[in-house]
Amino acid sequence: MTGEQPATSSPAPAAAGVPDRARGLARYTADLIPPGTVLVGLARSPYAHARVSSIDIQAALKIPGVLAALTPADFDDIALGHQGADEPVLTRVARYVGDGIVAVAASDQDALLRGIEALHIDYEILPHACSVDDALALDQPLHPAFLDNVARRFSAERGDWEAAQKRVSTWVEGTFQTQAVPHAYLEPRATLVRVYDDRLELVTGTHFPSVLAETYGEIVAGWGARLEVVTPDIGGSFGAKWEHPTHLVCLAFAHRLRRDVAMVLPRRDDMISGRTRVAMRIQMRIGATDDGELIAKETMIWADNGAYTGHGPSVTLAAAIRMDNLYRFSALNAQAQLIYTNNVPSECFRGFGSPQSAFAQEQLIDELAEQLRIDPIELRRRNAVQPGDTTLHGWQVGSCGFNDCLDAIKDRIQTHRRENPMATSDRYRFGYGIAGATHAISNRGYDHRFDRDMMSLAVEPNGVLRIESGEVEIGCGTVDLFAGIVADHLELDRERIRLVLGDTATVPHGLGCFASRTAFFGGRAALDASRRFAQLCGRLAIDIGLPADTAIASVIEAAVTANRTMELRVTGSYEPDHVTVPDESGYGNISPAYTYATHGCCVRVDTATGLTTVVCYWAAHDTGQVLNPQRARGQVVGGVVQGLGFALAETTLVDDRGHMQNPGYLDDRVATFADAVPIECIFTPTFEKEGPRGAKTIAEPPIIPVAACVANAIYDATGARQWRLPMTPEWVWRSLCAKGVLAPDRTAD
Amino acid sequence: MQVTLRVNGKLSEVPPSFIGRRLLDYLRAELGLTGVKEGCGEGDCGACTVLVEGQPMCSCLLLTGVLDGREITTIEGLPETFLAQFSAACAEYGAVQCGYCTPGIAVMAAWLQAGGSEVSAQPITKLLEGNLCRCTGYQQIIEALSALQ
Repeated sequence: MTGEQPATSSPAPAAAGVPDRARGLARYTADLIPPGTVLVGLARSPYAHARVSSIDIQAALKIPGVLAALTPADFDDIALGHQGADEPVLTRVARYVGDGIVAVAASDQDALLRGIEALHIDYEILPHACSVDDALALDQPLHPAFLDNVARRFSAERGDWEAAQKRVSTWVEGTFQTQAVPHAYLEPRATLVRVYDDRLELVTGTHFPSVLAETYGEIVAGWGARLEVVTPDIGGSFGAKWEHPTHLVCLAFAHRLRRDVAMVLPRRDDMISGRTRVAMRIQMRIGATDDGELIAKETMIWADNGAYTGHGPSVTLAAAIRMDNLYRFSALNAQAQLIYTNNVPSECFRGFGSPQSAFAQEQLIDELAEQLRIDPIELRRRNAVQPGDTTLHGWQVGSCGFNDCLDAIKDRIQTHRRENPMATSDRYRFGYGIAGATHAISNRGYDHRFDRDMMSLAVEPNGVLRIESGEVEIGCGTVDLFAGIVADHLELDRERIRLVLGDTATVPHGLGCFASRTAFFGGRAALDASRRFAQLCGRLAIDIGLPADTAIASVIEAAVTANRTMELRVTGSYEPDHVTVPDESGYGNISPAYTYATHGCCVRVDTATGLTTVVCYWAAHDTGQVLNPQRARGQVVGGVVQGLGFALAETTLVDDRGHMQNPGYLDDRVATFADAVPIECIFTPTFEKEGPRGAKTIAEPPIIPVAACVANAIYDATGARQWRLPMTPEWVWRSLCAKGVLAPDRTAD
Repeated sequence: MQVTLRVNGKLSEVPPSFIGRRLLDYLRAELGLTGVKEGCGEGDCGACTVLVEGQPMCSCLLLTGVLDGREITTIEGLPETFLAQFSAACAEYGAVQCGYCTPGIAVMAAWLQAGGSEVSAQPITKLLEGNLCRCTGYQQIIEALSALQ
């Protein structure tokens, strides 16, 4: 059957660089929806856990403008989830408030809303659990295959635990609670599906177009159609935009109706059905010798998976072991479980599981320092991982500037202390805190087949050089980085370069923008492609009768004149050879290099209200050679402010029926201009020989140590340890009461 | 009921189907001014900010029916000289990451530059409190806007 749509694809959109974005010329998914596109909406479950006993769509279908409806029966064989495959597209059993039950397609917004209202859905309410403890105690499984509601268990034991324990003279321990936080990107989830004669084209902002094309491609193939994925400009994601049921709902309607369809989530829907950071309870203890040698660390984690499994398994494993790699422990023991609840599905979020585990670990390191009477920076320095180390988890450390980061922060704090004598009073207390962090670049365990990137360079008939990559620009500066590397290497004018990113019909394979891997992997692929392109230009030059060392720009010009631009096309790639697929316990050299950081801050705590104000913040990072200082600084400052939101303000509040109480920016307490704090960004460069021009990466590390850093400063100011996030005035005040810091007339209860 | 707006200098009559709908919808869907972004639809984020008679407002909170005769300016209607300056400052200071909030901030920057007593009396951080950015942490936007003043 031939549809009304044109049979050929529209040209792949060029990814916008900063100047275009500043002029409002970037095109996000919702900007590409033409008038007359079929609109899609969902009827969502109002219950946290309920069986759908009946669905009646007849009344809805009679409403003028309503074109079709889809029910769970239309998706019976499909389950989504890169690491779990447990999320129905539309569900017969609602597992969180907001779970999609019926989808409606209509010709306009009014008809759509009336259609959704006219649906009759009956539910049989089931007992629900909105905390990991409730879920473990629940006498029925949320997913039939997981009788105890534990979606995944991890265990990692390294070194000789018994021998190590004997050497420990001092243990410190604590139980820490971290919270779910929405990613709160500015561009809500949006999906457009275009229908062509032989295929469906999914247009959506995502981290990994190639994986979507693969995952959905198999499903769409079952319908007898083909799929391509186009990634337009992306309005932020921070780890949220992967597979999503709304994609398949739109694909199914487009296939059935043979018309373009679109769905843009209202902010509230985006928040209740989007994804959140994985909330965790972390019980941890760390042991050391009297002279400050870190010996052993034990970690137990209870992680809230939410209703379905996104990247919760990887995040939980990362939280269990990654931060261990910062120090030279002798023995480690980590146990973690990821538990299904009736909360919104959780996901990875900038920093993966490390902001959660850093909150615990870096506070306990400070606690140890105090008990051992060693300066906290000195304690970290003595035990810091060093270049050439292989850690207990199998990380082969190449470049490592953790000590330099520690020194830089020590210097900043000393100077600040000297130059700003703090007016500490009974009510207002000032304190300094520090915290360290490490992060991988990519994760070889993510896709067991490969971890690689490719880039093609091709000259268009008009002489413009087109960069084609499977990576996407998610706001980190990928467009400028790729164009910059190629322009620089080939000595070409940036204006003569165009980028096509994440259009699976035309670009070579790229695994995607996650794990802070794009600059490193994509950068290496860009260098390889540039080298090959230069060689090709040399050969073409000779063929045309020019000297072999003719400038690339002149060769391109000559190729245009000779109508031989078609010959100027190469593909470069990068795949590290010294990484290993980790085993089930996470052991392996998962990344070609590792990054390091230390943060420091000065806070003021109002003991009357518990309000913590960040006076000054310093972030020191070893990210190898810095390729673009301005953009790198942007990642650091942006990551720190997001981290301050996680530390002090943001949380997902759920009532006892499982309803999210704050599905909006205002009530989630996303940082505003008024919350901007002075942040000094310090790069302590190393040279990473595996990296592009000695560089490592910087997107995720800046958020990792923030909450721990602020918590340590609050402790320094008040003597009250922080066991839970976010450290809102109320909880800090409670911690002060528990510690007896407040005058008796101000204490709680 | 007839509603006529002047959008970016051009008179445009709002068709009946858009009377009673949000200014944001009219600008994007009818006039194709997709530089105006919808982030929340609740006036929290400021991505949809436009100038109404020179004053910044969230176009998601305004119904077209109450705007008869008003002058509306979107990012598309800002003077080229300003956009060139703004764009250069954003590039120089690293003030743009994903760029979704940027059109709203550009409109605010144009309003700041136009001056007025309300503007001079308050710091940028206060004046722009209604424009959210999840990427940058604000510092580099503040630097770019300060350079433009």
